[in-house]
Amino acid sequence: MTDLKVKLCGVELKNPVIPASGTFGFGREFNELYDISVLGAVATKGLTLESRLGNGTPRIAESRGVILNAVGLQNPGVERFIKEDLAFLRAKTRVIANVAGSEVGDYEKICARLDGLVDFVELNISCPNVKCGGMALGIKPENVENVTRVAKNALKATPLIVKLSPNVESIAANARAAERGGADCISLVNTFTGMAIDIERRRPVLANNTGGVSGAGIKPIAVRMVYEASHAVAIPVVGMGGITCAEDAIEFMMAGATAVQVGTQNFTDALACPKIIEGLAAWCVSHGVERISDLVGTVKMN
Amino acid sequence: MREITATVLENKNIAEGICSLTFATDEAIPVRAGQFAMIGIDGFPLRRPLAVCKAEGERVTVCYRQAGEGTRRLASRYSRGERLSVLLPLGNGFYVAEKEKRVAVVGGGVGIFPLISAIREYAETKEIYAYMGFRGKAAICMRYEMQRAKELVIATDDGSEGYRGTSVQAFMEDIGRVKPDVVLSCGPLPMLRALKSAMAGRGIPAYVSLEERMGCGVGACLVCVCELTNGEHARVCKDGPVFEIGEVKL
Repeated sequence: MTDLKVKLCGVELKNPVIPASGTFGFGREFNELYDISVLGAVATKGLTLESRLGNGTPRIAESRGVILNAVGLQNPGVERFIKEDLAFLRAKTRVIANVAGSEVGDYEKICARLDGLVDFVELNISCPNVKCGGMALGIKPENVENVTRVAKNALKATPLIVKLSPNVESIAANARAAERGGADCISLVNTFTGMAIDIERRRPVLANNTGGVSGAGIKPIAVRMVYEASHAVAIPVVGMGGITCAEDAIEFMMAGATAVQVGTQNFTDALACPKIIEGLAAWCVSHGVERISDLVGTVKMN
Repeated sequence: MREITATVLENKNIAEGICSLTFATDEAIPVRAGQFAMIGIDGFPLRRPLAVCKAEGERVTVCYRQAGEGTRRLASRYSRGERLSVLLPLGNGFYVAEKEKRVAVVGGGVGIFPLISAIREYAETKEIYAYMGFRGKAAICMRYEMQRAKELVIATDDGSEGYRGTSVQAFMEDIGRVKPDVVLSCGPLPMLRALKSAMAGRGIPAYVSLEERMGCGVGACLVCVCELTNGEHARVCKDGPVFEIGEVKL
């Protein structure tokens, strides 16, 4: 029997598989398909202080091996999440509250509100679909460090994960900036900014024109970035980007990720996460791995 | 709502660019009229939301237009015996109240397919008046299923068969005689807008089934939203796809 448990910032997860923010809501819908208590944790839909309606439709497009989304952080606001969904989720598994804001002050307030209520706060400083802020915050290392520090100061009891944007000059520099700002953990990658054009209409498919690219096609870039980021910092890393199966998840763990998030694959196969958890156990058994955490960062460069 | 691997029984062309795909599930899955299925296509990350036309025990039929690369691949790759990844049944479906006896069904283009399931479900217990619009004669399909209605009017844009004009125009010419208790509709947006304005103030409940690009299909990702008249957003996949016509902005 393989030990799938991993420890992230001192918090134990029963396994390293986490549905990624924005693909899983607050877990209720997928819980109609399977008991989500099998998951290591759930990363919630991005929360803001006030409710948001998000962008116009279409909000999603497809290209070979990838999708593009521009939902624009539609969410009911942090208060309704706390009132209506938090207890349900907490009873199921570890809760990672993904939070976003339009300015640094928003991050401070929402972190203060969630402090002690959730297992982790994941700072979305890289959502490319929010104007006035979102993107700008996550690009420059000094801004990453600043918003991380502000959020960390507001969190007395809850560990802070900073979710890094891949649309940057140096992922290692931004990882170090988050660490300097006091992050307990980093997660990456968020989506790559992209565009898909409907050539009959000569217009972008997405109402927002551009959107975040995710899915199997981005995986090699994400693995490289997880490797670079995890070797630039001492804090743990949560890896994601195009994971479709257990073997993909193991690749991320060998690159340096302590846990992984699964996003787009939840759309391709609603049972993706439980299948990956089962696949991890089977892979470890067939490879004589007793503790999955032993795989973290074990890749050797040629 | 179940995630299953089904087996394709038949996948055939039934009209110009329109295919009908029938698959077998491992056990009978109850599907209500107007509900849909998410169909996985190998090599495509997003599944295609397709209305269920028929569900009989372990046999489920969905219909689709070959609109792009994915649906063309669905048509060419999935023949009898192939395994098919399916999530179903999804969405709220049509609801006709006990007291509503006379049901008008107004459809256009691929919008006729969810209405076929409504005709099938209510043909025995209600009086169904169906108005089905097509571009032209070559696009007409599912004749046998449509004929389960008490009355059927086929409308074609080019007049190559039946009423020349849209199904909404044909329906509005008959509405005084038919006196429906409820109207169920699905079709292209201009058609639904025309129906909405024609039905305004008549006091007859009318429902529309909407189409939108979807992500998860189960209500989690908030990709397929529509705007309600109260300014809120609703999820087409979970809160819909069927909405009261006055409740949504079209």
